[in-house]
Amino acid sequence: MKRYLQCLLIAALVLSLVGAAGLNKPAQAQEAPSGVWFGTWPYVLPPEHSFNAYVTNGGLETNLGVGFRSYVELPMAFYMWSTGEYLPLLAESWGFSDDNSYYWTKIREDATWSNGDPVTADDVLATYAIGRLMNWSDFAYIDRLEKVDEKTVNYIFLEGQGSLLAERFILKNYIRDAYTYGELATKAQELYDSGKTSEDPEWTELVDEINAFRPDELLASGPYTYTLDDVGDTYMTLHWHPNSIFSDSVNFGEIRIWAGETEATTPLVLSGEIAHATNVYPPSTLEAFAAAGINTVAIPRGYGPALLFQHDTWPWNITEVRQASALVIDREENAFLTNGLGATATQYMAGLADSMVPLWMTQEAIDQLDRYEFDPDRAAELLQSAGFERNADGKWADADGNVITAEFKFPAEFTDFSGMALNATEQLNEFGFDITARAIPWQQCADDIRNGDFELSVWSWSSQSPFPARQFYGPIQRFNYVGLTQGQKGMNFPMEFEWNGEMIDLDQMINDSSAGLDIEKQVEITSEVALIINQLMPFVPLNELISVEPFNTDLIDGLPDPDDPILQNPSSTDHFIIYSLLTGAFSPK
Amino acid sequence: MEGTPAHRLYDAIKRVVGSYAFRVVVQGILTLWAVTTFTFVLIRQMPGNPIQIKIDQLMDQRQLSYDDALKSAAGLYDFDPDEPLIQQYVKYIGKLARGDLGKSILSAGTPVADQIRRYLPWTLFSVGSGLLISFTLGVLLGMSMAYWRGGLLDNTMTVVASIMYGVPDFVIALLLLLVAGVQLELFKVGDVLGGISQDVEAGFNVPYITSLVQHAGLPVLTYVWTTVGGWILTMKSSTISTLGEDYITVAKARGLPERRIVLAYVGRNAMLPLITRLAISIGFVVGGSVIIEFIFQYPGLGRLLYTAINGRDYTTMQGVFLVISAAVVVSNILADLVFGLLDPRVRVGGQK
Repeated sequence: MKRYLQCLLIAALVLSLVGAAGLNKPAQAQEAPSGVWFGTWPYVLPPEHSFNAYVTNGGLETNLGVGFRSYVELPMAFYMWSTGEYLPLLAESWGFSDDNSYYWTKIREDATWSNGDPVTADDVLATYAIGRLMNWSDFAYIDRLEKVDEKTVNYIFLEGQGSLLAERFILKNYIRDAYTYGELATKAQELYDSGKTSEDPEWTELVDEINAFRPDELLASGPYTYTLDDVGDTYMTLHWHPNSIFSDSVNFGEIRIWAGETEATTPLVLSGEIAHATNVYPPSTLEAFAAAGINTVAIPRGYGPALLFQHDTWPWNITEVRQASALVIDREENAFLTNGLGATATQYMAGLADSMVPLWMTQEAIDQLDRYEFDPDRAAELLQSAGFERNADGKWADADGNVITAEFKFPAEFTDFSGMALNATEQLNEFGFDITARAIPWQQCADDIRNGDFELSVWSWSSQSPFPARQFYGPIQRFNYVGLTQGQKGMNFPMEFEWNGEMIDLDQMINDSSAGLDIEKQVEITSEVALIINQLMPFVPLNELISVEPFNTDLIDGLPDPDDPILQNPSSTDHFIIYSLLTGAFSPK
Repeated sequence: MEGTPAHRLYDAIKRVVGSYAFRVVVQGILTLWAVTTFTFVLIRQMPGNPIQIKIDQLMDQRQLSYDDALKSAAGLYDFDPDEPLIQQYVKYIGKLARGDLGKSILSAGTPVADQIRRYLPWTLFSVGSGLLISFTLGVLLGMSMAYWRGGLLDNTMTVVASIMYGVPDFVIALLLLLVAGVQLELFKVGDVLGGISQDVEAGFNVPYITSLVQHAGLPVLTYVWTTVGGWILTMKSSTISTLGEDYITVAKARGLPERRIVLAYVGRNAMLPLITRLAISIGFVVGGSVIIEFIFQYPGLGRLLYTAINGRDYTTMQGVFLVISAAVVVSNILADLVFGLLDPRVRVGGQK
């Protein structure tokens, strides 16, 4: 009996030891997945490299871009362009108040930082307190933030500023941790509460302090984090940690980010060492990828090159001349010469990305859009109706013999814009204009456009935001006197004029196209703005750029089917890779 | 008056001021000041400035109005583009006189001196090794070609050197990666990029040194490839003209051994024109090779300069240009001294 009891005791001891050992053993979810994701981004090296989440150079924005950053600092939600819906990331619920006077977000109960602390409303308040000091655009809509409980925050709107644009800002911001930024956030909030503004020296001093701040570590709400030791010359490595709400769903234990841009990453893609890259590769390189058996995935970039006119200068102030220009440029050819398969001809010519037209315009308005199909004869008729004739040299000239002539300035460094400009010049000259293309440094080109020191030029139209006001922004506000500062006239397209018998303010109409929450009204205003742009052609939206991105299926499983709606999301902040990786849609081969 | 302490001090000052070394140092400082001033003005004439570039980014990415983007951008950097140029210059020179290169505009809080300390050693190692190999190969091959002029070596190498000299470095760099790395799979591309493998512990140990050489291999090869042709052709023509000198004929007539003629008479004199070129090249070693470092992701000064120029980081650019200028000035001074050692006529002329 005694021996039996001894055996029982020993067995109990062994079992308890095994049990105790089991307590220290990481649970299944705490074991890092074995896979490695191979991406690329042009991060900077220490000493410039820092974890500062507010500076735009050398900090997280520079080093992780919007893609990799989401794996470290989660935003509240992810936007789906196909449905206009947000999918939850850090937040579990959100919405406008009944009276639209504020917006609210509730963070997931189980959301924690990499050190195990919960993500709370205090983190959100700290994020925005410093954001206000750093002059975030959010505060064009938000008056103040209020903590409701540990997980819920209300964003009180400025009078009448509740809108889908404001919602996007709120749900897309990366939430920083109060553990790291709390002290600075408190100072920032106190400064603001004391009535100081950006004009005060105390404000500037605190901004300088924030800019110079170098956190020792990076707390992550996403499933990956890293230290400065993980930043190498060739690649940096993000390491999985077990405390994120997405730690269980991701299938990669490491994310390796190769340094460099197109030139440096091309050989790496070809040698099969990169799973996915967002760089812009020229058509010949894309052919080389195809020949090497490397898949590519095509998604919209959200913008494209537009032909800009100087409306102060004859003959570009004449509507018929601008319309004729739109008619004589074969946009299919122009798109191909802009970026091969990486560009597509604009269909609707409405100033909105083609994919957005059915969502934001009435069918009646869409039917009224002039598609400006390639038609030199119609262009000739238009010019003749405006008093132009071909001269003996075959050039178009007015009644006084002044030939339609211009210098076309384009940014030499941007190969897509250069391709567009050279081809447009060639096609316009073929029709009988006398255009001289001139390549200049991009900074000079932007400067010249701003200052109105150009006749023809090229810059982006549309944008990576899904809302009409943001899509109309470029270039009619971006490079026009209404969006510029004193003394800069830009394209100088008059924004107040008579339309259908009444005076309109196109600038205000564009702003109103995304103001408030009345979608029907927004569709109505958007339709009207699009028709005005379509008819007056203040710029010619020649093509939309496509991001053709290598995706190596020898390394990664889970590439969405070409008709998957998530591929309608453009590159940048709404990139499909972000959501797919976090939710475990990708896995290593 | 003569022999008094004041007179002796005056004589000493006169001797120092009149000395060659003093003149060279003063000349060097003046040259540096002139170059610094010139680059200070020149880089500010480039289109765009750090704030303007940030404004453009903010307007494109966040669709802000110009004034809102300006407000945001201005808060990010400790730089006022509207400050009068002369005021900026006085501040800069004042700091420089105290040995302070300032702080990076783009990477707020990072001293330019730290940046240079971080990147310079890599460039010195890679481009320095490249220059050494290239110069040695060029001198030996150029001299041999001239000595056995018209032979197989001369005919072959003249064509090869001309071709190598004519192909741009970025083409060679990309070809090495794409042909040797991707097509022939002689190495994994990722293993040769950067300056050092991440999993190697820094220090004087075999894995570290091996990794160092492995990563510097292609940048050095590219540098040698694109510069050795120039050294070969210059050395060849210099040797040919030296071989035609009377003193070579006299040396041969005197029956001096061939080895002595080659080394002491031909080699030494033929190298003289290359010394100045080498001195300038040594100076430019510091600046690195921007394109090569960019393609191989080599963490040298060229990579820093590329980023700084793109973002118009004036203080970083100024710091890098100052270091390059100082290196060129110092190496030219050294070249003068070495030239004097190699060619006694220079010393004699100097004494006169």
